[in-house]
Amino acid sequence: MITPQKIKEWLKEVEQRPESATLVLKYVTDRLRELDARNEELSAENIALQSGARVEEYESRLAHLEYQLDLLRRRFGDIALVPKESAQAPPAPLRLLAYNARGRILCFNAEEDLPYFIGGLKTAGEPPCLLAVFPNEELLFLFNSGRVSARPVEQIRLVDPGLATTFEQGSLPDEPHGGELLACLAPLSDLPLAHFFLQISRRGWVKKTLATMAETILGKRFLGKGVVQKSDQPFALTLGRKGDRLALVSREGHVVSLEVDNLSYSAEERIRLPATDHLIAAFLLGQGHDLLALTEEGKVLLRTGTDLEPSTSPMAKGLTLIPPARLEKGTRLAAALAVDTATRVVALDAGGRFTVQTAAEVRGAGALDAGPGLLAVAGLAGPERVR
Amino acid sequence: MTIKVGLDFGTSNSGVALWDGTRVRLLPVDRRGVQPEVVKTILYITRDYEAYIGQEAIELYYRHNVDRQRHYVRQRAGEIEYTGADMHYVRDVYVFVDELQPGRLLQYLKTALRKQGARFQGTHIFERHYAAGDLVQTYLSQLKQRAEQVLGEKISGATLGRPVKFSNDPALDIQAEETLRQAALAAGFEQVDFEFEPVAAALFYEQSLTKPETVLVFDFGGGTLDIAIMRLGEQDRRVVYASGGIDIAGSDFDRAIIEQRLMPFFGAGQVAHQPELLDLIAAVPEWAVLPEMATPINRNVLEKAIRTGMVPVRLRALQTLIYNDLAFSFYYRVEAAKITLSSLGAAVIALDDPGIDLWELYTRNQFEADIESLRAKIEAVLLETLAASGLEPGQIEAVVKTGGSSNIPLFSEMLGRIFGPEKIKASNAFSSVAAGLAIKAGNR
Repeated sequence: MITPQKIKEWLKEVEQRPESATLVLKYVTDRLRELDARNEELSAENIALQSGARVEEYESRLAHLEYQLDLLRRRFGDIALVPKESAQAPPAPLRLLAYNARGRILCFNAEEDLPYFIGGLKTAGEPPCLLAVFPNEELLFLFNSGRVSARPVEQIRLVDPGLATTFEQGSLPDEPHGGELLACLAPLSDLPLAHFFLQISRRGWVKKTLATMAETILGKRFLGKGVVQKSDQPFALTLGRKGDRLALVSREGHVVSLEVDNLSYSAEERIRLPATDHLIAAFLLGQGHDLLALTEEGKVLLRTGTDLEPSTSPMAKGLTLIPPARLEKGTRLAAALAVDTATRVVALDAGGRFTVQTAAEVRGAGALDAGPGLLAVAGLAGPERVR
Repeated sequence: MTIKVGLDFGTSNSGVALWDGTRVRLLPVDRRGVQPEVVKTILYITRDYEAYIGQEAIELYYRHNVDRQRHYVRQRAGEIEYTGADMHYVRDVYVFVDELQPGRLLQYLKTALRKQGARFQGTHIFERHYAAGDLVQTYLSQLKQRAEQVLGEKISGATLGRPVKFSNDPALDIQAEETLRQAALAAGFEQVDFEFEPVAAALFYEQSLTKPETVLVFDFGGGTLDIAIMRLGEQDRRVVYASGGIDIAGSDFDRAIIEQRLMPFFGAGQVAHQPELLDLIAAVPEWAVLPEMATPINRNVLEKAIRTGMVPVRLRALQTLIYNDLAFSFYYRVEAAKITLSSLGAAVIALDDPGIDLWELYTRNQFEADIESLRAKIEAVLLETLAASGLEPGQIEAVVKTGGSSNIPLFSEMLGRIFGPEKIKASNAFSSVAAGLAIKAGNR
């Protein structure tokens, strides 16, 4: 508040002590410059308000908030709207998605169709990936170009396990553009509760992006590749919260655990992998979870969550799961996941056969039947985690 | 070996010094501070009752409180009994308490000693009640630990400084000294004695004398002004002609700046007939009260007023000051501007936060006008003390200034005008009292 009285007082100071003049002038001009810059900002804001751009921006923000609310409703149910009886109804059966880099998805009813044998699942390039989700879940598709799109699981047609034998019979909800490949699918309904998107590349580079950017990311359908080296590819995407731990597991058996809080907002190499190695799994390691890794032959390697001290060094080599002698003989990991006692492990072997066992059974046996070679695994959450 | 130190427990700053028989050693008790020998008289007590002092307390307070979450819960505070002509009933009183509050920052602990009784009955810090003596004991205990760390030895005793008058009321004066003595004993000092702060400053000044002098010590700190007129330089005969003081000092000048210049930024003079809002505005100069105002009820009062368009910019600024924990930053900047004006003709008091745009160009001329009434009172006390000594201004051979507020040019000019500018000697503003107390402790 600059009043005429104050200006008089400043002038009086200058008259009494002329050496103060420079200082007063400097302070006043600094303030003037600051106010001028602020005036520029306010004028721009006025133009945005008058042209309706700001209204559009708020409308878009509202639409995104409604979308997030919808995600939350799907995740936790709408307590206000859903009658008590149906809120207590048994949960919808989990869906198991098998997808490949060409964007083809086979969707099974995980509770009824498994175990099942389907031939011809082997693909020429990357092995297929598995993901267990709720039918009311929203999926985020991440392509290797950095493009993203969100689709509800319910749009993906359930396949008849008696008829589906190849990926060609699966759905193609978002066909990759020319030269593009599907990098991964990630469940999205936790978005309103998440703080970050975590992107992991095949060569172990990790980047986090604020979840508050979701509106822009989903609006523009672009998240970015999250890779730095040309030879690298996007590999996995997950939503994380402050205080979470992220585990990275490589094919040659290197494991690191990272505090999400300490990850960088720009892509940073967080595990130093040999030239022959690449990641085969990246997931959040929750409280009470252990790390279950499986070799291509189906042998189980287990590490408890407490064994995995979070790494602080930028390019850690990590814990080694496969001894050098076994590594030389060609032992490699095929898959890894976080499990608790109630988790059921679904495995897909190279013969196209699914097997389902509880994590406790797999641990007890020390191996699972991998047939001609293990391709992928997924964890079906225990009943207490099914809402 | 028993070690006895001089301990200056000041309103704004404190210090510890040791006399080794030939010279004074000021102990670096706050290595994080700009002047390690001076530690701010600030105490921060965390929820688990850990205590921190000085710069460490300030840094921790900021680290714990900036952008923190709050969650208010309603707690029963007591009851109020109403008795009328034909009615009598008792009503429960509830207060809102922030259960996520990580700690309490306390300043002006020495002032609490002066205000014991009706004006300050102590404060609750989480589940514990701290009387003035408990707060001082906590602070002194931390200060003692730091000094012992520096020396590497246990300190057994201390000579503490005290103002010439804690209070004009003799009973309160005795009570304040006794509380300080008990606090020091409880903090672990086995022997405790006192010396008037201006006398201590004089003892330090005496070290530089080659011939006897009649000296007026003008000890002007954060909480009080203390004056002593003494004959120094004769080891076997040290005469105190007169001593006096007044409880006006640095913190009163800060308050004057806020009241006269900064209150309009928070709605003063622009809000009327709204008792709840006026109470909030009136709390702005109260450093310790302002954080307590951050209750959900007050937030609603402010939000409602802002929505109705009642001086929204000013009330938003007030809301931000209260709810963003900016009170400490605000007072700190006011104090910093006041200190700047001791060397420059102008300073800016600015607080830039999304809810506040406070910018005040403040000149020395304005400052001198704002504290003129206080200056007049101080001059009156100075002349009264001089009259009580039976000496004329011309008989004073040196005027020794000490304490942070003694650097304010208005008071240097006042002393120069009364005694002659050539007689004004500046002693170390923040350490001369501690140094003098150390000399006293060493010679006792």
